[in-house]
Amino acid sequence: MIVLRDVVQQFGGRIVLEIPELQFVPGKRYGLIGENGSGKTTLIRMLAGTSKPTSGRIEGLEGKKVGYLPQSPYAFSFSVLQNVALALNGHGDAKEIAQKALVAVGMESLMDARGDRLSGGEAQRMALARVLVRAYDVLLLDEPTSSTDVRSMDLIETTLKEYVQKTQCTLIFSTHSPAQALRLADEVLYLEKGRVVEQGLAETLFHSPQDERTKAFLRHWSLNS
Amino acid sequence: MIKQVLELLFGADPELRQIIGVTLRMSVLSTLISALIGIPWGVAMGANQFKGKAILSRITNTLMGLPPVVAGLIVFLILSRSGPLGKLSLLYSVPAMVIAQVVLISPIIAGMTSNIVSLRAPSINETCAGIGISGWKRLWLTIKECRIPFVTAVLAGFGRSIAEVGAVQMVGGNIQFKTRVMTTAIMMQTNMGRFELAVALGVVLLIISFVINSLVHRVQEQTQRDRTA
Repeated sequence: MIVLRDVVQQFGGRIVLEIPELQFVPGKRYGLIGENGSGKTTLIRMLAGTSKPTSGRIEGLEGKKVGYLPQSPYAFSFSVLQNVALALNGHGDAKEIAQKALVAVGMESLMDARGDRLSGGEAQRMALARVLVRAYDVLLLDEPTSSTDVRSMDLIETTLKEYVQKTQCTLIFSTHSPAQALRLADEVLYLEKGRVVEQGLAETLFHSPQDERTKAFLRHWSLNS
Repeated sequence: MIKQVLELLFGADPELRQIIGVTLRMSVLSTLISALIGIPWGVAMGANQFKGKAILSRITNTLMGLPPVVAGLIVFLILSRSGPLGKLSLLYSVPAMVIAQVVLISPIIAGMTSNIVSLRAPSINETCAGIGISGWKRLWLTIKECRIPFVTAVLAGFGRSIAEVGAVQMVGGNIQFKTRVMTTAIMMQTNMGRFELAVALGVVLLIISFVINSLVHRVQEQTQRDRTA
């Protein structure tokens, strides 16, 4: 179980995340929703270990294999295939595994293209394939489909579901799309101004939110979608 | 005068050739040593977050604007007979000029390298952390990704080195057939009223400068193409 206790993150004296207590149960899929600046990326980065909390503790990640896809993943200037194989660190079948991962995200025709010459959406799919070539206990994805088109999004969601099914990992992802959270997550957390406003089963939270702020956010989203 | 300049440029004037030779030898050597110092220094600053980074960055920026005569004075005092390295008898030699150039150019290469790396390092670090790559491998990937812009930094260092006059005059002494370089020769020949040699050297210096700038421009264009393609 991953547990956050009294976690506070400040940047330049401003509190950007404040979580008294939060738990993530192993094997479950969690979707983080909320507007820009709500703290989704900060929470994921802290769980990934790339940002240390100003105060508080994060327990349950020691010795765990954690995979993480940042919001703006770097596309290295070598081939797409080599970009993906990079995560396998000299594994004997690296090439075959990387090829399979790229086929899964619909990038079989771009394997030999240079990573840094891909479009935003293609780079995001490549980066996802790069993360998914390994099995993790915890998988953290920061807006994995923010630059992808609808067709690619379907493919990515299917790939993700298969990966989670196969590895039984804990999936924590952030998204701008509540609909995606509903499709992929068991539980959804609504964040606002650095705080978890509401948490619950995806269906329950979407159909009968309790907090006024969650209601307002979902109302706004349904009006605009 | 034009005829005399052309004769000097396309003739076999031993002094002109010797001056160009010393200049290139000094500039290439000092740029190479400065790159060996400046690139790791810049990478360390740009790729990592550590205590004292802000102060190190400020010191580097200050050294980037170090007046050449101050660099010359420091090296002069260190290499002079009563200085800490006086026993080496390096003053008024090409190695002394190289040392002065290294003092001037290393911070420039370090500062440019740091800027280049700090633009890419955060994204590379996050990406590598996500797929379990850390330490030397991450650093190597960062350096590899920045290799083309590094060339710009090194060429800028070379450009600065070849155009330098104050520091090399102070520690080199502008000795004929020994430490006279293009810039110090131009200054001296102008003072003596021998404009032909000064103009001929000026033309060579301009051509070298043009070639370096063209290379820098090409590297920058290539980098831009890679990023936007």
